[in-house]
Amino acid sequence: MDFNPSDLQRMLLDSAERFLADRFTLEHRRGLRATADGLDTEAWSTFAELGWLSLRVPEALGGLGGTMADVATLATALGYNCVASPFTSSVVIAPTILTGADQPQEALLEAIVGGTARVALVHDEPGDRYAYDKPRGTTAALRDGAIVLSGQKLLAVDAPSASHLIVTATIDGDLALVLVPSDGAGIEKSPYPLYNDQRAADIRFDDVAGGTLLARGAAAQALLTQALDLGRIADAAQMVGSMEADLAICSAYLKERQQFGQPIGKFQALQHIMADMFVATHQARSILYAAIASADADAAPPALARMVSLMRINLAEAYQVVARQAIQLHGGYGITDEYEVSHHYRHQLVLEKLYGDVDHHQRRLAAL
Amino acid sequence: MDFIPDPSLDAFRHEIREAINADLPTDLKEKQIAYAGSQNEPEDSLTWMRILDKRGWAVPHWPVEHGGTGWSPMQLYIFNEECTNAFAPDICWGSSHMCGPVIYTFGSDAQKERFLPEMRRGDYYLAQGFSEPGNGSDLARLRTSARREGDRYIVNGQKIWTSSGYFAEWGFFLVRTDPTVKPQAGISFLMIKMDTPGITVRRIPQLNGESDLCEVFLDNVEVPAGNLIGEEGKGWSYAKFLLDHERTTSSFIFFNKREVARARAIAEAETQDGVPLIRNPVFRDRLTRLEAEATALEWSVLRELSKEEFKYHPTAAASTLKVAGSRLQQAICELEMDLLGARSLRKFAYDAHDRDAAPLWPDYSETVTPRALVMRASTIYGGTLQIQKGIISKLAFDL
Repeated sequence: MDFNPSDLQRMLLDSAERFLADRFTLEHRRGLRATADGLDTEAWSTFAELGWLSLRVPEALGGLGGTMADVATLATALGYNCVASPFTSSVVIAPTILTGADQPQEALLEAIVGGTARVALVHDEPGDRYAYDKPRGTTAALRDGAIVLSGQKLLAVDAPSASHLIVTATIDGDLALVLVPSDGAGIEKSPYPLYNDQRAADIRFDDVAGGTLLARGAAAQALLTQALDLGRIADAAQMVGSMEADLAICSAYLKERQQFGQPIGKFQALQHIMADMFVATHQARSILYAAIASADADAAPPALARMVSLMRINLAEAYQVVARQAIQLHGGYGITDEYEVSHHYRHQLVLEKLYGDVDHHQRRLAAL
Repeated sequence: MDFIPDPSLDAFRHEIREAINADLPTDLKEKQIAYAGSQNEPEDSLTWMRILDKRGWAVPHWPVEHGGTGWSPMQLYIFNEECTNAFAPDICWGSSHMCGPVIYTFGSDAQKERFLPEMRRGDYYLAQGFSEPGNGSDLARLRTSARREGDRYIVNGQKIWTSSGYFAEWGFFLVRTDPTVKPQAGISFLMIKMDTPGITVRRIPQLNGESDLCEVFLDNVEVPAGNLIGEEGKGWSYAKFLLDHERTTSSFIFFNKREVARARAIAEAETQDGVPLIRNPVFRDRLTRLEAEATALEWSVLRELSKEEFKYHPTAAASTLKVAGSRLQQAICELEMDLLGARSLRKFAYDAHDRDAAPLWPDYSETVTPRALVMRASTIYGGTLQIQKGIISKLAFDL
């Protein structure tokens, strides 16, 4: 075992830390709220130039063929700088599905690597609560040899800035994964921000033609599960990065802020809060490693599912300690939009609740 | 011991409920049900006070000679509970619970005559100018100065966390009138009109999208000396008096009881594979624990109201209500949010109600998350959780 970064990871981390800290200042991130789709397009081009978008694309298809450990290295840096981006969708979830499809989507993968395409997973439907193995109300029908999609989707994360959508649907009683360009006729998107300023959309499909069937039946379910589990690891790594930022920000604040004639960090009550945050964050990074190890060893799906769900349960509790106490340590400043800690809280809150909450993962563990 | 409430209170509760039902405008009530912020819009407080004042109920806890009702503590408790359950806006606490009591206890007759009727009628909103950027928990070292020049004070400094400061016509400020004595002894209590030249108010954007809290900058603000309440140098004891005045309000017992019921309603409405979440053991467990905690809190408040003889310092009991109540507020609002799962994550515009544009989303999805986010402040304002714990260990146990 070696928990120190490899040369590639060191390089990734160095370039990421420099670029992200310079670019994604609090002011810049707040400014992105005014954009139509929340995307920093210039920065996304830089992500492409730095090779980040090719991490999970196999070498044979023009990518770096990196491990989830490589992905997590970058994702923690994104989280540390509180960057809400379509990273998990376009760099982890979509490449997993597009690579594993019956016909690997080489051209689209190339466009993702080049930064010109972004792909969102469109799964949730009204009435769903983390229903990842339930029949879809959205239908895919074969008409004159072409796929036609119809149905109502909810909360499609990263869809507003996506060029393509991977839509889950029912085809002759089977689950289908269907790829469509996001601007096709019959697609109606209602976009909105999430609390970390990441964007999502409710999407209505009315007889949308031009779809490509990526996978169906058991293969589609397996691919969806794998993509989501890897996505959960990427989001978890961002949470860990964000929690580690809270440690740095709060420890500096406790040394700087004076009350009762001394830095507030001299008060044992606050020292113990800081220590609890440290323990929770340390443990969170450890269980992240456990899940990465499972993914990078190509563990059997149930083994990966178990490790990922254990990780997500641990992180859901850890972030409550870290992000909430980070606000508490800042007093009134903590609840303003003008200090970093409230942004990290909202970012971690969103990441914790996407693709399954504690209840979902407990039920999944019980069913394994 | 007699644990049974006086049965005559049932009739009183009935009377209050009927009156509120008759008086509370539907639009005000609906706005309050769907409110995403920490309290309510300040203008709604004034509207409600004006309505209550017609029955003589705007400030029921004040002494009768200043417009109070003379109700017993249990009657006041019932009145406040009924207002909260009806989703009435809060009244302006700056006037009713803070500045008003200081004025009727320590003010001159002229000041009582000048301020109390206006405050009672809801003529204007009152801002609190206590905390400063460098002095929150350590309030006694506040630095905003008031220098006496003839018949006026010249005030310079900066205040922060002033609720609805942008809307208030008057503010009550703690200022340093004597920098030479020990910090607590040099503080005075000053009424300042918020449109006085030299005052600048900035609204602070908060994490839930609202911007009710304000910074107040005071630059050579001239204040008539007659606006000093009580004696110069006694401001600290007045501030302590008002913070101690209403021991039970910091429990937010009525909010907590109402919201735990709302959490239950959401748990009944939200489903997992067609089964209401109230039947999911994870969520049912969380809800019933909070219901137990709210019940305990209610009886802690009743013990306080009925003047139970208490072997510890009374302020330790007040801090207990604050500690338990503020944690409960957070836990309930966060349960409401968690019940929605990923659907709690959508950020609706704070001011414009998007609900008509979002028919696929339940009404409450618009408000539970912003409320849960801003509820992080409940363990910060009015003395942080850590300050409260320090008070308890010191006053109850002399540690």
